[in-house]
This record gives sequence, structure tokens and C-alpha cells, in this order.
Amino acid sequence: MRLSLRMLISHGRVARRIGLGPESRIHMLRNILTGLVRHERIETTLARADEVRFYAEKLIDYAKKGDTDEKAMKMASFWMTEKDLVPKLFKVLAPRFETQSNSYTRMARIPNRANLDRAKMAVLEYKGNPFPPLYPAKKENELTLINQLLKGYRAERAQQLAAKA
Amino acid sequence: MATRSVCGVLQRRFASAAAAVRPPAAEVRSKRNAVFSREQARQRALYPRIEKIEVNMEGPGLDGTLLIMNRGMSTPLSCASHLTEHHVTNSVLALVDGELWPLHQPLTASCSLKLLTFKDSDPTLVNQAYWRSCAALLGQVLETAFKDDFNVELLSTPEVPVTSGAFCCDVVLDPQLDSWTPSEESLRSLTRGAQQLIHQDLAWEPLEVTPPVALEVFSHSRCKQEEVEEKAENSPRGTVMLYRCGDHVLLSGGPLVARTGLCFQYEVTAIHNLGQGPLGLLRRAQGLSLPLQLQAHHTVWRKLRQRAEKLVEVPPVETENPPSLPDSTPPSSPDSAPPLTSQ
Repeated sequence: MRLSLRMLISHGRVARRIGLGPESRIHMLRNILTGLVRHERIETTLARADEVRFYAEKLIDYAKKGDTDEKAMKMASFWMTEKDLVPKLFKVLAPRFETQSNSYTRMARIPNRANLDRAKMAVLEYKGNPFPPLYPAKKENELTLINQLLKGYRAERAQQLAAKA
Repeated sequence: MATRSVCGVLQRRFASAAAAVRPPAAEVRSKRNAVFSREQARQRALYPRIEKIEVNMEGPGLDGTLLIMNRGMSTPLSCASHLTEHHVTNSVLALVDGELWPLHQPLTASCSLKLLTFKDSDPTLVNQAYWRSCAALLGQVLETAFKDDFNVELLSTPEVPVTSGAFCCDVVLDPQLDSWTPSEESLRSLTRGAQQLIHQDLAWEPLEVTPPVALEVFSHSRCKQEEVEEKAENSPRGTVMLYRCGDHVLLSGGPLVARTGLCFQYEVTAIHNLGQGPLGLLRRAQGLSLPLQLQAHHTVWRKLRQRAEKLVEVPPVETENPPSLPDSTPPSSPDSAPPLTSQ
């Protein structure tokens, strides 16, 4: 099976090895994902955030099937180590992403960890959370001086073209 | 008795002819400056004791900031310098209790103060003030650009909206210059003069005066005096605003921005003939400018500049200047000496 050059070179090893073994990896990811669903924005190392991201998106896909679905319920109760988050998953997150079909999360690099080991750090969040935006909002103001000048220029240009036609 | 009446008649004659036989420009300028300085000193002396006022700052990140300032001495700029350097360099105008206030005018009572910048959510008033100031700067350049033996009379500056593409300044040049058509070179020379003023970063000092003082300031110019009377009638308090930039005193229809250094890109783009007026050949100088905070890429600037060369139609508040076609200039005499002083 070869989907891309990167897959060929990786010899099928697509996931990072995290923790003490495969089981430990799953436990670690479960804990992080539970934190993500509870707080909607978390800060961890870049590698862990990148690993969790796939499961976070997949979990929303399951949650969108509804809480009557057997498989969805099984998944939710497996991945949420704190069971009070299961209703939140079905009642809050699933309706929020009804219109989207993918990319429910957003990841951003932050400065490396300073005190411990200089690990690469990242922020992972579910979109549509109530926190201030990660990236500065682009300000577009029609009323600034240069935009007003350009508006006049465009209006005149449109007039000229209309007169020509 | 007869000689006395004759003398009186002659005196009145000469007084009315003062505008025609003008003293040299430098003398006029120093006289205006002297009157302006005298009035400014008088107004400052109105507050001999230091009294404190409370200024409530408004704006993003400034809620609840209370400054204790000096009455009749502290300006909005001094309030800004108590905040950060960003506020000092980026403030253009101030809003004192909802009223536009020049940045260099002293505060006279406890008030709430908001500093306006070019990047506010609604900078319409700031843009208008910037356009007015650029026109004032253009007038100042035109007045000083010519040699001393040519007479330059600045008319009232028409208010044009920003979307018209260029600010403009109406001027009547000396009758000897009626056949002069400005070349690219002379426009560039005017631009250079403006750039020098911008580089000097001069402040526009405001002064609110009563009409008699304003008439004394403009005692050499008949049309300016008429403008003063007209403005004093229209203003609710019966006063007019004078501004001084360097050594040039001007009359303004509204508040001007803080200093010339706020302009960054500045170009004089065209001088159009508007036909014969009551004082001589009317000309309209036009220019384009952008502040330091909003710079244009050179391709955008070129397009805007090309548009700014076209004659600006003044909105129909002033109908006495029917704009004529720009190509109806009189034939130029190419071998006449260029009247501009080298800048």
C-alpha cells in the first residue's frame, strides 16, 4: 500500500511512540483528550498535541452520530476518563460542528518550554470556544484614509468603464 | 481745514490701497507672527495661578484613567505624554467632551478626553482634518516658494471630501505670472518644499481669537479680511481659529492635525487654471498625501497620484468658481525665467 512518498518511507509507521508502550500511549492520549474536551483549549508538547488532534477530530465525528448510536456511546465512554463529559460531547460539541465535516480543531505553536527541557510546545483547541482568539483578528476598515481614496478611485474607474461600454 | 480733509481722504485711500502695494513678504510674515505671539502670550497670561483639573481618559485600555492636569496650560498632547510614546506619536486630534479639539490647544476645564488616530474604527473626522491640514501645508509652500517680487494671494481653501482624490488650495498669483504654466520640474520643486516642512516636524499651534485681532493679523490682505468676517459671523461664539505652522499664520475652517510630521507621502500633483476671478487669474493647486501610519505601495500610490492630477470638483457649497477645463491654459512663454526660487 502506498498512498504517498512519505507513507512509503515511513514503512507504515505513522504514529509517534509516546510513553512506555502502546498501552501507555493510549492512556496518555485519553487523559489529554479528556482535558481538551473539558477545557476546550489546552497547552501540551507539540508531539502530544499533534497525536491527540487526530483522535479529537475522530471523536467529534462519532459524537455527531448521536447518543443513541451504540458505537458512538462506546467510543465516548472509552475516551472520556471523566464520565461527566460524555453529555457535553453529545449536547455541546456535536451541535456546534453540525455544519462542518472536518477540521474541528486548531493548533498553534508557542515558545518552547523554558523551565524543564526546552520541548516544543503547542496549543490545541476546539474551534468555536469562548476564549480570546489565538491569532489576531484581521482588521479591515473601509473608512481609513487610504481605503477611502481607493474607494473613490474604484468608483471613478467604474464610471469610466461604463461610459466606454 | 481743506488740507485736513484732503489728508484724511488720502489716508483712507492709501489704507485701502495697502493690499495693492504690499510690503515685502518677509515683513508681512514677521508682522503676522508678532501679532500671533502677542495674542498667544495674552491668552496664556489669563491663567496666572496653577489650577488643577481632572481629565478622564477614554479609549481602548485607558478606561478609568484619571489625569490631574493644569488648567489653561496642559494640552491633550501633554495628557498623551503621560501615557505612552505610542499615544504621543499616533494621536492626531482629541475629542474633548465630544467636541473636536486640536492637540496643542490648552484644556480649560475638567473634561473627558479621547485621543483620535488614523486607525480608529471610524476615522472620518480625522481624515477630514488631515485633508484640511495637507491643504494648509500646500498653501504655506505656495506662499514661500516664489521669489519675493511675486505676490501670492491665498484664497479660502475649499473643503473637499477625501473620496474626491486630492486636496486643493486656491491661489491667485501675481499678474506677471499669468502666462506661466507649471512644469513637472516646478511641481517637483513645490513637493520638495513640502517635504522639507514635513521633515522639520512643525506643530500647528491653534489660537482662538476675536475678529479684531484676526483682522490685524491679516491687515495686508483684503480677501483674508473678508474671509475672517464671514467666518466670525458663521461661528456660534463669534471667534475664528488661527493656526501657526513655523512662521506661517493661517485661517482655518476647522481643526487641523497635530504636526506636519504626521504626513509621510506628500506630492503636489497639479496646478490648474480656473479662469479669471475678481482678484486675477484663479489657480487651484492640488496634491495627494498619506500619513505615516497608512502607507501605500508604490503601484497603488501611482494610481492614486494619476487620479489626483485631475481637477477636483468642489461640491456646490461654493458655486462662484465654475471649474473650467484644465487644458484651457493660456499659451506659455517657454523662454521666461522660472519664477520659483531654488529649494
